[in-house]
Amino acid sequence: MTAPTPESYLADWDRRLLDFEESQHISVFRRGMRNLVRNRLLLSGVILGVLVVGAGVLGPVIVGGDYELINFSNIHAVPFSEDALLGTDHLGRDTATRLFVAIRVSLAVAVGVTGLALVAGLAIGTVAGFRGGWTDRSLSGVMDFIWGFPLILVAVLFAGGLGEGLLSVILAVGLVNMAAIARVVRGEVLSLSEREFIEAARAGGLSNWRIIRKHLLPNILAPALVLASYYVAVAIIAEAALSFIGLGAQPPLPSLGQMVAEGRNFLQLNHWETTVPGLTLVVMVLSVSLIGDGLRDVFDPRLRHEAKGLES
Amino acid sequence: MASPLLSVRDLTTVIRTEGIEFEVVRGVSFDMYPNEILGLVGESGCGKTMTALSVMGLIPSPAARIAGGEVRFGDRDLVSLPEREMREVRGDDISMIFQDPLTSLDPMFSIGHLLTEVIRRHRSVSRPEAEAMALQALAEVELPDPETRMSQYPHQLSGGMRQRVMIAMALMLDPDILIADEPTTALDVTVQAQILDRLLGQQRRRGMSMLLITHDLGVVAAVADRVAVMYSGEIVEQAPVGQLFSDPQHPYTQGLLRAVPQTRHQRGALHTIPGRVPPPQFVPPGCPFSPRCSQALVRCWEEHPELVPDDGRHLRCFNPRPLTPA
Amino acid sequence: MRYLASRTVYMLVILAISSVAVFYAIRLSGGDATAARLPASATEADRETLREVLGLNDPIYQQYFTYMGRLLSGDLGNSLTNNALISKMVVEHGRNSIILGAAAFLLVFLVGVPLGMLASVRRNTLADQGIMSLSVAGMAVPNFWLALLSIWLFASVLRWLPSAGCCEPRQLILPAIVLAAEGTALTVRMTRSAMLENLDSDWVRTLRAGGLSESRVIGKHVFRNALIPIISLAGLRIGQIVGYALIVEVIFGWPGLGQVLVNAVLRRDYPVAQFFSLVLVVMVVLGNWLADLGYLAANPRLRKT
Repeated sequence: MTAPTPESYLADWDRRLLDFEESQHISVFRRGMRNLVRNRLLLSGVILGVLVVGAGVLGPVIVGGDYELINFSNIHAVPFSEDALLGTDHLGRDTATRLFVAIRVSLAVAVGVTGLALVAGLAIGTVAGFRGGWTDRSLSGVMDFIWGFPLILVAVLFAGGLGEGLLSVILAVGLVNMAAIARVVRGEVLSLSEREFIEAARAGGLSNWRIIRKHLLPNILAPALVLASYYVAVAIIAEAALSFIGLGAQPPLPSLGQMVAEGRNFLQLNHWETTVPGLTLVVMVLSVSLIGDGLRDVFDPRLRHEAKGLES
Repeated sequence: MASPLLSVRDLTTVIRTEGIEFEVVRGVSFDMYPNEILGLVGESGCGKTMTALSVMGLIPSPAARIAGGEVRFGDRDLVSLPEREMREVRGDDISMIFQDPLTSLDPMFSIGHLLTEVIRRHRSVSRPEAEAMALQALAEVELPDPETRMSQYPHQLSGGMRQRVMIAMALMLDPDILIADEPTTALDVTVQAQILDRLLGQQRRRGMSMLLITHDLGVVAAVADRVAVMYSGEIVEQAPVGQLFSDPQHPYTQGLLRAVPQTRHQRGALHTIPGRVPPPQFVPPGCPFSPRCSQALVRCWEEHPELVPDDGRHLRCFNPRPLTPA
Repeated sequence: MRYLASRTVYMLVILAISSVAVFYAIRLSGGDATAARLPASATEADRETLREVLGLNDPIYQQYFTYMGRLLSGDLGNSLTNNALISKMVVEHGRNSIILGAAAFLLVFLVGVPLGMLASVRRNTLADQGIMSLSVAGMAVPNFWLALLSIWLFASVLRWLPSAGCCEPRQLILPAIVLAAEGTALTVRMTRSAMLENLDSDWVRTLRAGGLSESRVIGKHVFRNALIPIISLAGLRIGQIVGYALIVEVIFGWPGLGQVLVNAVLRRDYPVAQFFSLVLVVMVVLGNWLADLGYLAANPRLRKT
C-alpha cells in the first residue's frame, strides 16, 4: 500500500463522484418504479378495473343465461338465492346475467366511444396545434363550441332529435369527449412546438408527418391517455344517468342506470335490485378515476395543472 | 472599527429531500457594519441565496431549516427569535431585494397597494400618509412618473421599473441592513448600471449596511468595501475589496478572478476552473475545493481547513500561494 | 374593454349557432309533426294541408327565421301533451330551476373554495387527506346514485327531509346538495392546486420579506391570485349544473326546466322540447359569458392594457 498522494485522492474522488451521480440516476428510475408499485391509487384502481372488466367480459360466458328471460315464479330474489347468484328483479330476470350485459353496455359506450374520441381528438388537436393559422382557428372554434356544453344537455338534445336510445348517448359522449381531448392536445402541441427539439427537427427539414409521428405523438400520448381516463369516468356516469331517466339504453337491453331506476321502486322489498348495479357503477367510476390519478402521479406530474381544467 | 450591526456566526442551514439532510450553508460567519457594502460572491448553487434567506428567516420550510449558529442583530439572535418578532424585523430593520423583478411582485394588486400595505404593517400611519411615504420612496429611486405608477399594476411596468419598485419597497422604511440578491442579473445590461447606481446612491445617503450577492466580480470590484467568497456552502476567503482583487490567496478566488475576461490586456482562451461544484449531498471530506484545486496537498484531502483570520483577511486554505500572472 | 367586446361578440355568435343547431336537430328529426296533431285516420291530403299551414313545407332556413320571429314576438305555442301555453310553462318552471341552480351554484363555491383553501394550508395533514378523499368520492359517485342514497337515508330512514317535491326550503336541501356535489369536489381540487401553485411564487417571498404575516400573505394575496382560475371555470360549473339539473330534477320531482324537457323528449312533445332545449342552451352560453365577465373583473391584467 503506497502512501496517498493528491493525485491518488483525486482519482479516487472522481470515481466516487461518478458512482454517486450514477446512483442518483438509477434512483430516479427506481423512484419511478417505486412510485408505480407504491402508488396505491393506481394499484387499487387497476384491481377494481380488472374485476369489473373481467365480470363484463367473462361473466356472460360463465353464468350464461338470457338477460331477457322473464320468470314470474321467482321475482325479487335476494343475492345468493337458488338459481340466482345476485338475485332477480321484479320480472324475475336474473340480476347477474343482466348486470354483466349492463357492464358491457357501459364499457362499450364509455371506453369504446372515448377511445374513438381519443383518436379523433388526437388527430384534430395535433393538426390544429401544428398547422396553426386558419386551420387552427376553425378547428379550435368548433371544438370550443362543443366543449362549452355539458355532456348531459348535449345528450338530451340528441335524444330530442333522434329519439331516446344509446345512439344519442354515444354521439354526445363521442363529440364532447373528442372536443375536450382535442383542446388539451392542441395546447400540448403548441407548447411542444416551441421547444428546441421540435424546432431542431423543423430546421433539419424533417417532413411534418415525420415530426408529428416521431416527436410530437410520443410526448402527447401520455397526457392524452391520462385525460381520456377521466373522460371515461365522465362518460360512464353520463350513460348511467341518461339510462336512469329513460333517455339512454332502452329495454330490454339492460344498463346500470336503468337497473337502478327499475329497482328503485322496490327498495323496501329488495334493495339489492338497486344497490347491486349502483355499487357496480361506483366501483367502475372509482376504478377509472383512480387509474387516471395514479397514471398522472407516476408519469406526468406536470399534468396536475391540466387536470384543473378537466370538466365534464 | 465600530461594532458590527449584524454578526453571523457559524450559520448552518440544511435541506431535507427524501429523508436525507444535507448542508447547503456550512459554518458561515461574517459581520456587517454601518455604511458599508459587503459583497458575497461565488458560483450559482454555492449557498449565497440560502445564506441570505437564512438571515431573513425566509428559508423554505419545512424543506429547509437552520441547524446551527446565530445571527446577532443588536442584542437579539434572529435565528431563535419567534416568528412574530421576526416579522417586525423583516421589511423594517432588514430588507431584501430579489433577483427576478418580473415575478417578484404580486400581479393582482397595484404598486401603491403593495407598498402601503407593507408601510402600514410596520408604521401606524393613515392611508394617505402611507401613500405619501410610498410616493416619496418611488421618487427617490427615480421611477419616472411615480403618481401614475402608484395606481398601476406590476404587468404594466418594465423589468427595470419593477426592480425600482422593489428597491423602493425595501428602502422606504429606512432599514439598517439591505440584502440585495443579484439585484441586476435579470435586467438588460443598460438598465443594470442605472439600477446599481440608484442602489448605491441610496446606500450612501442613508449610511445603510448592504449585503450584495452577485456572481459578477466586476460589480463587486466597483462597489463593495469588503468581499466574501463562497464555495460549496462555505466562505473560503474574505478580505477588503482592494486586497482581495490585488492579492487573492485562495486558489478558488484566484480561479474566479482569472475566469473574468480581460479584454484590455490579452486575447485568447478564457481561463476556467476545471471540474464542477460538488453536489451538496456529496461534498469532499477535506477541503471542498480539493478536487478542483491545482495546489491540493494530501492534507487538503484529509483535513477540513478552518477560516483563519490574518491581517484583515480571512482564509480557509492549507496551501495558499500568491497569484501567478496567467 | 376589448376583451369584454370580443367575449360578448363570441357569446352572440355562439348563441346564434347553437339556436340554429337546436332548431335543426329537433325540427329535422322530429318525425312527422302531423302525427301528434291529427288522428291516425287522417288522410295524406289533410296532413299536407296541415304541413302547409304550419309552414313545414317552407325551406328549412325560412322555417328557422319564422320560428325565431315567433319566439321574439312571445308566441311560443302550446304543449302537445296538455295544451299548456309554453310561455307560461317556461316562467313557472324557469323560476324553480333558477332557485335550485342558484342554491347549487352557491354551495359549489361557498363550500368548495374554503375546503380547498383549508386543504392547501394544511397540506399533507390528516385534514388535507380527508378533504381530498371526500372530493375523490364526490367525483366518483354518480349524482343520481347519490340522490337515491340521500333520499333513502334522509327521507326513508331518518325521516329528516322530504324525499321530493317543490318548493319549500326543506324540499330544496337534498336536490341542491346532490346537484352541487360534483362541482364542489372539482372546485375543492382546483382551489387547492391553485393555492399551492401561487404559494410557490416569487412574490410570496417578497411579501414575507416585507414582514407581512402568513395569514395576510395567504388569506389575501395568495387567495386573490388563486381566485382567477376558479372564476375562469365558473362558467363550466354553471354548464355542469344545467346539465345535471336534467337528472336531479327528475329524481327529486323538482318541477324545473330540466324535468319538463326530459318529459317532453320522452313524450315527443316537440314544441316544448325545442323551446326548453333552447332555453337551457341559452343559459349555458350566458353562464359562460358571465364567467368571462367575472374573470375580466377579477383580473387586473385584462382590465387595463
